[in-house]
Amino acid sequence: MATQRVLPQSKETLLRNYNKRLKDDIRSILDNFTEIIKTAKIEEETQVSRATQAEQDHYELHVRAANIVRAGESLMKLVSDLKQFLILNDFPSVNDAISLQNQNLRLLQEECDKKLTSLRDEIAVDLYELEEEYYSSSYGQWDNNNLPLCEAFRQRDSLASPGSSCSSTQGDREDVDGQLSQETNPQHHLNGHRTPLTEKL
Amino acid sequence: MANERLRALEDVEKEIAMILQCAGNIVLELSKDKHNASLLDRQLGQFQSSVNKVESELSTQIRYLTQVATGQPHEGSTYSARKDCQMAMNRAEYTKVKLVELGRTCEVMLEQQLQQP
Repeated sequence: MATQRVLPQSKETLLRNYNKRLKDDIRSILDNFTEIIKTAKIEEETQVSRATQAEQDHYELHVRAANIVRAGESLMKLVSDLKQFLILNDFPSVNDAISLQNQNLRLLQEECDKKLTSLRDEIAVDLYELEEEYYSSSYGQWDNNNLPLCEAFRQRDSLASPGSSCSSTQGDREDVDGQLSQETNPQHHLNGHRTPLTEKL
Repeated sequence: MANERLRALEDVEKEIAMILQCAGNIVLELSKDKHNASLLDRQLGQFQSSVNKVESELSTQIRYLTQVATGQPHEGSTYSARKDCQMAMNRAEYTKVKLVELGRTCEVMLEQQLQQP
């Protein structure tokens, strides 16, 4: 290790505890297994009778096997604690995970907005044609303050080239502002914004 | 990077299970009248290598954590990006609803026109 880091007391204690648990459990597994193998060796007659010795060996093998299993389970718990510690405290990987997730979410958002924008552009083109059709029919009448899209574009073009023939709305434009023309049924649209219907009797 | 470390720890768990299984197989083989020496050797070799692997891998992870842990809580979050994405999804959903309404209105108008003599 290059530099000596100063960890908070609790974290240092925790990591030292992990090391100790690891060493104790590995030692327990190895020692108990070695003793089991030694007990399996056939020995000559001892002071106690054969039955007693067999009973004692049987009990010892049980206890040592249980110790090996306990040590194995303790190692599994240690691995689980290490996983938890890693998830909470491994800052480099947490930072990487956060930046990757942010990047993915931003890409998704940009794609969504790009598709919505292209949809809006397509619909605006269709809307222009529909309005042109509608307002040039007998149903379509408008007031000068709230022009349909096609009429607004036409007026803008005619203003840009005053020598060209103008539509009948040129004269309407010079009328008094704020006077609503007579309407039958339509609602006025401009760029998708609707105004409430006002009927004059 | 985080996934690799977690995957390594999952492999360690499998090795621990292998340790216990090898120990059990060895004792089982010794309990028979006639032992299979090659099987015993294989299982013993497997047992020892698993024990060494578990010890070295866990020591490496603990050493890495000693270097990396700061004791402070991590305060990063993905909340803002997630919220922006959620709003974009809401916009798309709203657009879909409006287009469905428009389509339905057009169908109703067409039906009325067809029904008129």
